[in-house]
Amino acid sequence: MNSLMYDTYTIFWRELKRYKKSRSGVLIRLIQPAIWIIVIGNTFSGTQPLIQSVGFEGQYIEFMAPGVIILTAIFTSIFGGVNTLWDRRYGFMNKALTSPISRSSIALGKMSAISLISALQASLIVGIALAIGVTFPNPFMIVPIMAIVILFSMGFSGISVIVAATAKSQETFWGVINFLGMPLFMLSPALFPLELLPDWLATIAKLNPVTYTVLLVREMMTGVSEGGISALLSIGVIAVFVLVMVGLASYVFTREVNKPF
Amino acid sequence: MYSVETRSLSKSFGAANAINDISFAVESGEIFGFLGPNGAGKSTTIMILTTLLKPTSGQALVSGFDVMTQAKQVRQSIGYVQQESTVDEYLTGRENLLLQARLNHIPKDQINKRIDDILELIELSDKQNDSVVTYSGGMRKRLDIAGGLLHRPKVLFLDEPTVGLDIQTRRKIWEYIKKIHKEFEMTIFLTTHYMEEADQLCDRIGIIDNGKIQVIDSPENMKNAMGNEVISLTFENGNSDDFLFQLRQIDLIKKINVDNNKLTIFASKGTEVIPKIFQISSELQIKIVSISLTQPTLDDVFISYTGREIRDDDTGFNRKQEHAKMKRLRA
Repeated sequence: MNSLMYDTYTIFWRELKRYKKSRSGVLIRLIQPAIWIIVIGNTFSGTQPLIQSVGFEGQYIEFMAPGVIILTAIFTSIFGGVNTLWDRRYGFMNKALTSPISRSSIALGKMSAISLISALQASLIVGIALAIGVTFPNPFMIVPIMAIVILFSMGFSGISVIVAATAKSQETFWGVINFLGMPLFMLSPALFPLELLPDWLATIAKLNPVTYTVLLVREMMTGVSEGGISALLSIGVIAVFVLVMVGLASYVFTREVNKPF
Repeated sequence: MYSVETRSLSKSFGAANAINDISFAVESGEIFGFLGPNGAGKSTTIMILTTLLKPTSGQALVSGFDVMTQAKQVRQSIGYVQQESTVDEYLTGRENLLLQARLNHIPKDQINKRIDDILELIELSDKQNDSVVTYSGGMRKRLDIAGGLLHRPKVLFLDEPTVGLDIQTRRKIWEYIKKIHKEFEMTIFLTTHYMEEADQLCDRIGIIDNGKIQVIDSPENMKNAMGNEVISLTFENGNSDDFLFQLRQIDLIKKINVDNNKLTIFASKGTEVIPKIFQISSELQIKIVSISLTQPTLDDVFISYTGREIRDDDTGFNRKQEHAKMKRLRA
């Protein structure tokens, strides 16, 4: 157990070092969510009466800011596993596989690093949101919100690691990831209240862990809860999602890396 | 106990046999070279020995541990330096070694000292805090090798350690390999397709081709077994029959091939034969235009066991297929 923690930390340390050295990447990854919050946030400012009808008092941009924070988390973490493919191509993986560390610690180290990076990117988006006038009733909520973002990203980085370990090429990886990422975001109340979705869409959205994360973070930021889904239920759903994904990712990763690449 | 031992080791991918019934043993402390053309099965063997591939049949032991059932113990006993550079470009040299030290569970209180020592050994101390992206190919290779032996493995695997490096750098790397072998006395198992490299470094060589071991011996024995040195000469004027008749009287000359004015002479001590040739030619007033002496090289040994010098390797074959596919797509 002790050695699993140490080995996970070793891989985590290496991934973070690489992230720190890629300063341009940090900024590039911010462009898309920044456009979402600035452009979509203002484009749909006229929908304020609609969101007021479900009990939400502020501007539309304040309603959707939590959605964009989660968008940042989804995409940072679901893209995060791609370096698994590089590692296999350029031999780092073989180096790790021939050392005494366990296979699952490689997967766990990668996932923890991706989650932390995801939270860092999301906190930058929080900064942008504050800069364009989104207000936080309770600024101390930022700490538990980031904890939720890290937890949630752990699950999505699991998806990323599973796809990267199974895919043999960059093309397959990006194909599958794009197929997964955007629909999971769209099929959630990130941009529009859950109560106002057509029934069939709302039903699908309720099967999506992104939904519970968006609702939870929105409640933490604005104090308004929606659709009769309690914070406790949301935390429960996220926790189960993360546990399943982390377990599955460790298992699939261990199985796949033992096959020749 | 042998350091590396295989018993009837085979690995097939589908219907193709990558290696077929390979058995050999490497003594502790030996530098053993696996020599073979592209696609001969060198990498497959090294991947089985480093626990990256499971053999189809047979058994492989590294440092006494079975690669199938005791993979973890094998991984604790080996260092593996891959063919391509695997250092992280955006990390510094020192950070790369730190990563390697942690991967191999070097006790925390020893890590810094080990890294300092090894950096000195490979002469990278003054570059240790630069990003590897600024390193030359030779420096990266040195860092790779340093990473492979930081945890003082019992067996160090070097897969094509100098491929793609210029000749000066190659020689420098050989010096480092000799130096680390002297210092740590571990077993070194290397693969190469450079004859000179095998000749320079290895105590013993196994020549592998088509997934089978053709011969295992020391480089010297292999070259001696080839026997003859070859003297090529061309001459003008004079009576060639007399010349040939007298040459055939020299004991050391085994055989002479004649092609008009060109002679190819197979002899056992070429350097002693040449003055005798000149003596005879001046007596017969024959003018020697050119003369050369060739000693058998490992190349000759290699060719004699593997038959042909250059062949289409797998990558070349794939490139051809790929090329044909692209052409179809364009049309």
